[in-house]
Formats: sequence, C-alpha cells, structure tokens
Amino acid sequence: MNLPKIENIGFMGIIVLIILAFFYMILGASGMTAVLGIVLFFAVPFYLILNNFELEQDEKLVFSFLIGVGLFPSLVYWLGIFISFKVSIFITFAIYIIVAYLFSKFLGRSHLRSS
Amino acid sequence: MKISKGHLKAAAFVAVYILALYLWTLPFQDNTIPYGEFDAISHWELGDFIAEQDHTFVKLPAFLDVSYGGNNYFRPHTLWYPPPYHTNFAIISAFSPGRIVPIYLTNAVFASFILISVFFVINRLFGFMPAILSSFMLTFSLRDIMPYLWGQWVERFAYAFIPVILYCFYMYFTTYSKKDNKPLYLYIMAILLAINLLIHPLSFFHTAAGLFVLAVFLAIKQKKIPFNIKHVVISALLFLVLIGIFPYQTGNVLLTFQKPSSEEQKYSPISRLLQWSLNPSDYSGSVPASYFSFKEMHGLWTLPFLLLGLLVLVVRRENRDIFLMAWLFSLYLVLHRDLIGKFTFLHRSLSATAHIFIPITVIGALSIASFIKMPKIYQNFAKYGLAALVVALTLIYNMPQAYSTLNNAYDSPLARLNQGQIDVSEWIKENVPEGQNVSIIGPLPQIMQKVWWMASFSHRVSHYFEGFLTWKIYEENREETIKHHLLNDYIVVDYSDIALLSDRSFVNTWQEFEKANLANHTLLYNKDNIRVYKYESS
Repeated sequence: MNLPKIENIGFMGIIVLIILAFFYMILGASGMTAVLGIVLFFAVPFYLILNNFELEQDEKLVFSFLIGVGLFPSLVYWLGIFISFKVSIFITFAIYIIVAYLFSKFLGRSHLRSS
Repeated sequence: MKISKGHLKAAAFVAVYILALYLWTLPFQDNTIPYGEFDAISHWELGDFIAEQDHTFVKLPAFLDVSYGGNNYFRPHTLWYPPPYHTNFAIISAFSPGRIVPIYLTNAVFASFILISVFFVINRLFGFMPAILSSFMLTFSLRDIMPYLWGQWVERFAYAFIPVILYCFYMYFTTYSKKDNKPLYLYIMAILLAINLLIHPLSFFHTAAGLFVLAVFLAIKQKKIPFNIKHVVISALLFLVLIGIFPYQTGNVLLTFQKPSSEEQKYSPISRLLQWSLNPSDYSGSVPASYFSFKEMHGLWTLPFLLLGLLVLVVRRENRDIFLMAWLFSLYLVLHRDLIGKFTFLHRSLSATAHIFIPITVIGALSIASFIKMPKIYQNFAKYGLAALVVALTLIYNMPQAYSTLNNAYDSPLARLNQGQIDVSEWIKENVPEGQNVSIIGPLPQIMQKVWWMASFSHRVSHYFEGFLTWKIYEENREETIKHHLLNDYIVVDYSDIALLSDRSFVNTWQEFEKANLANHTLLYNKDNIRVYKYESS
C-alpha cells in the first residue's frame, strides 16, 4: 500500500481535521489539544529528520513517532531539571526542528539521503 | 484532488484506528475521574506531578518516596522507571487543559499503538488486507484491554516496539549484500531498541529474544550472516549512548535482571514446555482466571484459523513467514523463562500473545481462498468474502465483551473518587506544606484505593494513610502513634462514601474517634462530609 504523501495537503488536511473534530466531540478541547500535542511534539520533528533519508512514507511515520516518544521527552526531562518544564518543552521542540533543518542542509551527499 | 486506492486504504486504516480510540477512551469519556489499580496510580501521578510542579526531578518527592523509594535498586530514592514514558504524559498534560484527560488519552494512544505497529509491519510484509484485519481484531483484544484498564500502561506501549524493531532488523538482513545494503535500518533498529529499554525493560528483553530468534531463523533460511563491522559499531554506539542518558534507571534494569528470583519452579520442565499459557491458580486474587483462557481472550473461533495460518507459514517458509514464526517462537521463549529461573512478571508476557496470534489467524483465514483452484478474479472475491467473515465473527464474538469491559470499567462509585474527595485533595495540595504527613480516615479496606488516589491527587501522603483506625493500630499504640506520627499531621476524616456503606458500625467508630480525639484540634476544612484537622499538641 502506498500511502498518500504527507505533502498532499488536501488529503492530509481532511484527515487531520476529522481526527481533531472527533477528539473534540468525545473528549472536548482537552482531548483535541492533547492529540495535537502528541502529533506535534512526538512525531513532527522526527518526521522532518527522517524525511531526509531513503525511507518509505509509512516507515517515516511509524519510526518518527517511536523515536519521538523516546528522544523528545529525554531532552525535555534533563532541561526540566534546570528550567521551567513548559519552557523546556518549547526549547526541545525548537532544537529538534533545527536538527531537522541541519540534516536537510548537510545530508545532501550522503548515501542515506532520500532520492 | 484525485482519490486513489492509497487514499482509500489510508482512510480505512484511520477509520479503524479512530474506532479503536473511541472504544479505548470509553472509560473516561463521560467520567473524567481517574481510575485503575495501583500501577495506574503510580503512572498517572508521575506525569501529573511533573506537569503541575513545572519541573522534573532526580530525587523522588516525599509522597512518591514513601511508596517507591526502594524500587530503584541501583540508586534508591530516584525514579525506578526511565523517565521518558512519564515525561511524555507530563508534556501533554502541560500542553492541554485538565489533569485527567491529557494523561489518560496519551495513555490510550500509546497503549493502542500496537494496532499501528502491527498494521505497519503486516502491511509491509503481507499486504493491506491482512494488515487492516489484524488491526481491526486487535481493537477488541481483551488480553490488551484488561491490562490497559488495570494500569500496566508502560508495557502496553513497549510491546508496540517489538514488531517494528524486528522489521528493521529483517529489512537490514534480507536486503544485505556486500555491494548493496541498507544500514539505516540497523541504525534505526539500535535507536528503537534503546528507546524500548527506556520505555519498559520487560519488553526490551522480549525484543532481544525476538532479534536472536529472527537472526538464527533467517541465517538458516538464507544461508548467510550479514556482518559489517562499521554498521555494527555505529549501531552499538547509538544504543549505548542512548541507554546512557539515564544511568540510574539503566543501572536499575541491570541490577534487577541479575537479582535471583524468590520464587521456585513448581512444575516439571516437560509439562511447562508443553503448556503455552500459565496456571490461573498461581495468580488467584491478583489476575482473573479468564485472562489465562484462550477461549475467553481470543475466542475459540480463531483457533482453526490460527492453526491453519501456522501451517501456511511452516509450509511456505518465505522470508516474511520466517519473520512471523520467529516472532511467535520468541514469545514462546519469554513465556517459558521461568525454566531458567526468571519468574518476574511472567503473566504479563502473556498479554503480548494477541499481537502475533491475530496476524497468523488472519493469514490462516485468508489463505483458504488460495487452497481452491479457480481464476484469480474469483480468488479475490473469495478473499473479500473470508475477510467479511473474519469481521463478522469478530463483531459477534469479540466485540460485545470488549465493549462492555471498556464501557463499564470502574463505573462503581466505590471504584473512583467522588467530587468531594477530589475537592479536598486539591485543597490539601494547595494548603498543606510539601512533605507534610496527611492521614486519611474513612475509606474501608475494600476501597483503600481511594486513599491512594487522594494521595496522588494531592501530592501528599504519609506512612499511616492506610487508616490506622480500621486496623486498631491507633487503639493499641495510642501514645506511640501520636508521638511518632500524628503530632503535627493533617488528619482527613472522610464520610463522603457513607451512603454506600452497608456496615454502619464503621461510621459510628469513626464518629466516636473524631469526637474523642480531634474535637480539640484545629478544624481547617469542612465540606461534603469531609473534614480536615491539624493535629497539634493540646
């Protein structure tokens, strides 16, 4: 099965809207923002990193989430010992987004690079 | 936008997963009061405490240290679990409004992630139809739902790593040649394996067994052993660096693993080897007997398809079949680790059975179409018919029990805190100094869990919260109890469940105690039949 590309904004937009609306209906604003947070913090930064490698779309999605739930909280945890936990979440998010950007910039000639 | 087959398949999977999340969130859709056994309390409070305090910690806070101070053998009084799992709860809890829904929903997403993992791997190796059917059947898997409700949250999620890690290794192994190889899969495998350890060690050892068996099976099948020193060294480094992030907890995993078991083998090795499940009588009082029953957990209708699926795998023996057989055999190995003296959490490994039984069952069911010689188009029709049969049987035999288990979970007023208990817990959290003892008098021994939840909600607790009155400790050791414990304590007298009690004598005893012992102390809180006193020397 070839998944529709994440970059297919129309289809992905509809799916995301359905998911958010569904969680809003069953669990209110709290449920909707929780799901948004789960995707935003645990999957997005690592998807952007893995997007630089030669992997299938579904592989990138699954790997990014499973890597995200390990690496994202690890950095948040250590930062959270010294600074506000909430601040550490956003600093961590920024760090991983920067890492993703650096990967895309400097991985151009690697054999692991996505074609 | 042109709708392709890929769009429809993706939409079908999203629909199945949303159905699963709808069902798995039933216990907190209408009632947002936390529930679960002691394990659930510990997982919830770890995430909640970090989010509420806006800081992480190395040394356990007082209210956690009371119960879990000795759980980390390597460095007592620190977290006994590696921090990532609970920090994830805290992240979502800090990001979303409310103390309950964000953590419970994150847990539901994590616990049900096995549906995604299995879908992903089976789709990659066997195609869409077996994958979507497997995910659909897993939605109603009682072997997953029951521990999820009880509170074995962390390992529920950790099991979702197993198929994905095995898949990474499989991809590296099967595509390896001297000229062309895909080391990225091995690197990702190493990263996921380390994260697997950081989530839950039990599942990590399960994965390690799976990797070993898969490597042996594939090496025999392919008559090759891919070995590239550069790939191995990089993978090992990635793994070691990641598990080194939390040395106290990794140290605890190693020490716990080396600890000799206090249990003794009761069964002969032969009888154990011939037995897949465990004896329910060994767990009576802690785990219901139905949990050990194939019929109750999977449904007897799946058995012929499961056996047929196994037969197909054994006869066909393609690489992808080897993958499933290795996964199944590794589960058999971890379920029989008591034979080498490792008894800890043996029954919990049983909760991983559906993850591999179900894909094999589906493969068995769908394979029937290929046994009969007929044109390809009819074979496809037959496959759709068999898929419809699997869906129908799941809906008839598995869905009702799963739905009622989830829908009625912890719906007794004695199983969850009432609003008065939540209010007083929040009052204590705001008004009682951290580290101060709080003794709660009221809940009967049968509903002592409520006291744990109140402690968890208030982030305050004491050694004596269990209700010394019920156990006559106070009466027998009055002077000592006051001197060493009660003095300067906050005493919560809770009558809020009074209407639910059948034995009025308890109430009378509490009232007598309150009148005789607390009347001269400062009353700080009096609402909803719950009172809080400061017990000072008079």
